[in-house]
Amino acid sequence: MLNLSSLVQKAQQLIDPTQGLNLSNSDKNPSKASLFQSQFRLSSSQNPLYEINAELTIPPPNATQGDRDSDRGYHYAGKLHLSEAYLCFSTTPSSFVRSANTATSSVFTGQTHGAGPSGNGFTFPLCAIRKVERLNSQSFQFALAITTWNSFLSVTGKENPPTDKKNLREQRITLHLADTRHACERFCDGLKKGLRAAVGNVGRLRKVVAECYSEHLLRPEEKKDASPPDAGLGMMFRYPGDPKKLRDRAKMRLWAEYLRDNGRNITIIRQPTFHKLIRVGLPNRLRGEIWEMTSGSIHLRLENPTLYADTLAKFAGKESLAIDEIEKDLNRSLPEYPGFQDEEGIGRLRRVLTAYSWINPDVGYCQAMNIVVAALLIYMSESQAFFLLSSLCERLVPGYYSTTMYGTLLDQKVFECLVERTMPILWEHLVKSDVQLSVVSLPWFLSLYINSMPLVFAFRVLDVFFVEGPKVLFQVGLAIMRINGEELLDAADDGTFISVLKSYFSRLDESAHPKSENPKLRAVTKFQELMVVAFKEFSQITHSTITDLRLRNKDAVLRNIESFTKRTAIRNLGPDSKLLSADEVGALYDRFYTLLYERQQRDLIIQEETRRRARDSRARAQDLFRGEGEGDHIVDKGRIALGPSTSMMDYNAFREFLASMSKWAVADTQLQAQAHTGNRKSDALLNPWGSGPEPADHEFMRRLFKSWDVGGTGELTLANVVSGLARIKGRRDIMGAMNYFFELYDDDSDGKVDREGILRISEALLFLSRRGLEGALSPSTSTPTSNGANSQGQPGTSETDLGGVSANERFLGSVSAFIRRCFEYADPDRPRTQDGQAGEEGGEEEREKAQADNSEAFAIGDDDDEDEDELDLLGPDSPPGSPKPAAKPSTTPALSTDGSARRVSRAQSEAANAALDPANPLHITLPTFRMVVLADELLEQFFESSFPTSFHIMEGLGSSAPPASSSLTTFSSINFGHRAAMPAIAPAAQGATRGLRGVLDNIVTDGMRVAAEVRKRMDEAQKELEKTALPGQKDEDDEDDADIGVEIGVRGGGAGSSTDPERRRVRSEDRDLLSGADAEAGATGSGSGSGSGREGKLVDIGPGMSDAGPSKGVVEFEG
Amino acid sequence: MEGPGNAAPKPSSSVKLVLLGEAAVGKSSLVLRFVNNDFQENKEPTIGAAFLTQKCNLPTRTIKFEIWDTAGQERFASLAPMYYRNAQAALVVYDLTKPTSLVKAKHWVAELQRQASPGIVIALVGNKLDLTNDGGADAGADAGAAGDDEGAEGEGSGDARKIPTEEAQAYAEEEGLLFFETSAKTGHNVTDVFTAIANAIPETSLKSTRGPGGAAAAVGRGADEQRVNLSGQRDNAAKEGCAC
Repeated sequence: MLNLSSLVQKAQQLIDPTQGLNLSNSDKNPSKASLFQSQFRLSSSQNPLYEINAELTIPPPNATQGDRDSDRGYHYAGKLHLSEAYLCFSTTPSSFVRSANTATSSVFTGQTHGAGPSGNGFTFPLCAIRKVERLNSQSFQFALAITTWNSFLSVTGKENPPTDKKNLREQRITLHLADTRHACERFCDGLKKGLRAAVGNVGRLRKVVAECYSEHLLRPEEKKDASPPDAGLGMMFRYPGDPKKLRDRAKMRLWAEYLRDNGRNITIIRQPTFHKLIRVGLPNRLRGEIWEMTSGSIHLRLENPTLYADTLAKFAGKESLAIDEIEKDLNRSLPEYPGFQDEEGIGRLRRVLTAYSWINPDVGYCQAMNIVVAALLIYMSESQAFFLLSSLCERLVPGYYSTTMYGTLLDQKVFECLVERTMPILWEHLVKSDVQLSVVSLPWFLSLYINSMPLVFAFRVLDVFFVEGPKVLFQVGLAIMRINGEELLDAADDGTFISVLKSYFSRLDESAHPKSENPKLRAVTKFQELMVVAFKEFSQITHSTITDLRLRNKDAVLRNIESFTKRTAIRNLGPDSKLLSADEVGALYDRFYTLLYERQQRDLIIQEETRRRARDSRARAQDLFRGEGEGDHIVDKGRIALGPSTSMMDYNAFREFLASMSKWAVADTQLQAQAHTGNRKSDALLNPWGSGPEPADHEFMRRLFKSWDVGGTGELTLANVVSGLARIKGRRDIMGAMNYFFELYDDDSDGKVDREGILRISEALLFLSRRGLEGALSPSTSTPTSNGANSQGQPGTSETDLGGVSANERFLGSVSAFIRRCFEYADPDRPRTQDGQAGEEGGEEEREKAQADNSEAFAIGDDDDEDEDELDLLGPDSPPGSPKPAAKPSTTPALSTDGSARRVSRAQSEAANAALDPANPLHITLPTFRMVVLADELLEQFFESSFPTSFHIMEGLGSSAPPASSSLTTFSSINFGHRAAMPAIAPAAQGATRGLRGVLDNIVTDGMRVAAEVRKRMDEAQKELEKTALPGQKDEDDEDDADIGVEIGVRGGGAGSSTDPERRRVRSEDRDLLSGADAEAGATGSGSGSGSGREGKLVDIGPGMSDAGPSKGVVEFEG
Repeated sequence: MEGPGNAAPKPSSSVKLVLLGEAAVGKSSLVLRFVNNDFQENKEPTIGAAFLTQKCNLPTRTIKFEIWDTAGQERFASLAPMYYRNAQAALVVYDLTKPTSLVKAKHWVAELQRQASPGIVIALVGNKLDLTNDGGADAGADAGAAGDDEGAEGEGSGDARKIPTEEAQAYAEEEGLLFFETSAKTGHNVTDVFTAIANAIPETSLKSTRGPGGAAAAVGRGADEQRVNLSGQRDNAAKEGCAC
């Protein structure tokens, strides 16, 4: 029940294609888990499992251990949260209510007034808790005393006897749980479980803490070792700024005191003083550690303390584009700082940037990261900087450094909005003077002011930024604008605008009120003024302001990026793309990326769904905490503007891609149709093809894929797709199209296509035409072939309809003829003499004749691997569970009829001759192929127009079929694919239009069957031949084969009776072959190959399709 | 006022110029050379874009270049429209020891021709001439013959040139671009580039003073509105987003 609403939501998302491109739910309605994570700066592995109201009591600073007066000390009311590995307390009302959103969680800033999401309280890893005692308490049901490992970790047990209490301060806090007894018990149970699980992690904690300078700082003098933990390059190259002026010593004292009283690094308790101390600027040696704490990157480090070293080791010596880019910038990152004129600093910078580029290849390296990391490295160790960089890229400034930099652009937009909102006059002036604000402000944000302000001040901004979050960047930016407002109003162009701000930044250390009488006021620096304006005047700028504005502008920004990216991508496609129109390339681009995006979304949803289901079987206790929004954070993934997602199309995506624009690429059956027509709504979510039609999987498509995959990578780029299509659609010349087709089947590109290839080409032709032909087809042509077809058309059908029908019908004939002709004109691989005929005829004719014999022979006898091929033909290499052509069931049983066997033997006996040697390979060459194609008007038209037009790049299948956006019609189009071959069951019963289509579809199916049959016959003939080889009479072969086309085309029209008798006699052998095939396919097996036999088959197919019921439903949908 | 002082001051106009090109081809160095006649080996990479100005004295007028020096890293490309908006001139720079940089330069030229203000004057500049044997803009065809593959710079001989002058020249002529080979390190040809651009700016597109409602600006904005680019939509999008 819990996840029903989310299922519906997701289902809607799948149905409504526009929604998929819209903002994700995660932004509008973040999940409890993500709110919890951002509130306590925890990684996504932490989920809020239990929460409870509680009161925190911190003993007064100088209380000794025995002093337990609970009225003294500090009390905070708030909420206690328990996640998998953390116990967190915050005084801000947590976001842990069902209706929670970011706004409610951050609007209330509690006693700290804007102290940001982390507020007052603590974030203890469970492994940092040494002991939990239950206290007796009158006022509360449950009171817990929690003792942490604080101060015990950096000393080893031996040299630290418990008696050494003087120097060790045990951190002990009391928590009064204020809830029902049951809730308290549940919480405590959870805590117990968590604590037990965390015991093993104390070692990790020790490792992490050892890198914290505070441990060294708080160590008693006599125990301080010579080498304190690495607190950045500053220890070697001095920290920027004058320590005296920065009052570093005083700050250090204050912090030492605070840390002593409230716990250090991982066990620190945040009280209001904590935030105040941060506002006045951190002392140099503690700066890195406190950044790490406030940003939450220390929790990342705790999770995997060796990740940095491991990453470096794992990728040692490897090369990448990012590394090249990093290398270029190493010498120009804060070059004015002495540490970065030295190999030591450069080396650290290189390692941190490189390691990060490996663990987050999507971001890799972005200019500006070098500056930020260089700044971090002045104050922290490499590994600390590495994890802080992760925090930055993933949480604090997401998307800033991504490959599209959408975060940067979005925040610029947000900043502009804020300026417009808070300083309308200045904004108007900017607009009027055509000054673009973001050209000025972008570097501020991107380099977190490090590149804009003198370092000492930039670090002050960072101090606050890490604890209070990205809103600080905006507040400072707005304050800069406000303070310089007057001067900016005088600036009328970019140049003046920039120089005003530049000079302001360079004077930040000067007095803000140099002319003031009041010496105190005179002492206030411009930077102090800036901080005051930023955090007082713009205190209304909260995290939720930013979130709202980001949300509101996100789409526009993403769209702009996408149109830019598209423009660039299309321009870079290369010369082939010029063959297509700009619109076509544009449409292809959209189609390509939309498809990849949708597939990615679908994958995620399917994964999510699978996981959800797997979880459903787990303990009920967890249910309570399963948020509806879980996994929403991933919904946006894959959108181009959000940075790199996949830009490669694998074969399955390719199938889907084709199916979105070509009728023939839609499968005949739908995956697990039965399962879906059952009614588990959620199953729709698991459909790998989403709401689109299931794509077919035919050998032709695989060949196409292979041919487009120029690099042989197994994946297509947009460029591959465009040049692939450009070759088919671009030139619009028949020669090109034929060459292309031929090359597809010329496996070893030796200019020859062998017997197997010929059959495969025919299969492909049938496959491509099975939904009817498109493009310019002449409805009535002048060749005798088609005339014949028309004249023999069924009288019952109207003339106009018949045009279309017969074109497709005729095409079957054309394909048949194609096979025959190919074999007829094929060249043997080893030329051989044919004594029998050589003597009888002379000159050219003789040669032709000889070849004809050959071809006949080959057409009947074939390789032994036919069985396999036959399977191919019938079920085009379908992997289990994928479409099966509807033709198969009805064909197979019919094969065994005696009649067919007899005919086979006759045909074979007629055909057999000396050339009938299965071991005798043959091939056609490109000129032969062209000749054979051009000999048939329909085939010619197919290559000239029908095949190229069948790719509907611009409009997709949406226009020919009902629009794909509505779920109903899409459904029906699936079903169209699914039932394509079967509506012939009873044409009359389904109304005229359906009937016609039924006939058509049927014909197509027949065509496929013919091809199948031809091969089967060959196979059988071959077997027969092995027993007896009879000489055949070959005299009629040299005559026109086109008639076969007629025969097939006319199937069902009583061909036998209406053709002129002589012709009939002459062609009897051919007809036997073909009609035999037909008859076998149909269950009647009337033996003679007469019209009636075929007629019967038409009707017979119906029963073959057992699931006629659903197909009627389809009709209704489509009507 | 700002003229030489004697006689009537020459008319002065400002020209917005944007530099585009692959990372580390020397865009910033070129500007630095032009503006400060200076060269720094380790130049801090440009974040977003740097803004500089420099005057260029022509016989008849003074041109004040407002130079936007953009970041070269690929991902910064999507910020570029913000900077070339309304630009009257562009310097598209490539590194003549690095074939891929010319490819990138061609992309920029195409982007500018389609997206920037109509009539923008574009100069194609091959930088780092100091790394080649020829100090001047001649010869080089022999060295460039094998320039297609991406080799290490200056293999063996001292000549690292990978792109023959002729090749780039031909392309520039085809596209109607000004063409120069320069060295920001030695200063060779640098001023010439800017002078040539100054001369090529059509009189009509020059505005004597930049200011509210300046004719050129208005034209530029009008043209922008019809395009979808990052900056052109600023006004509309901002209103849409912020009318609250």
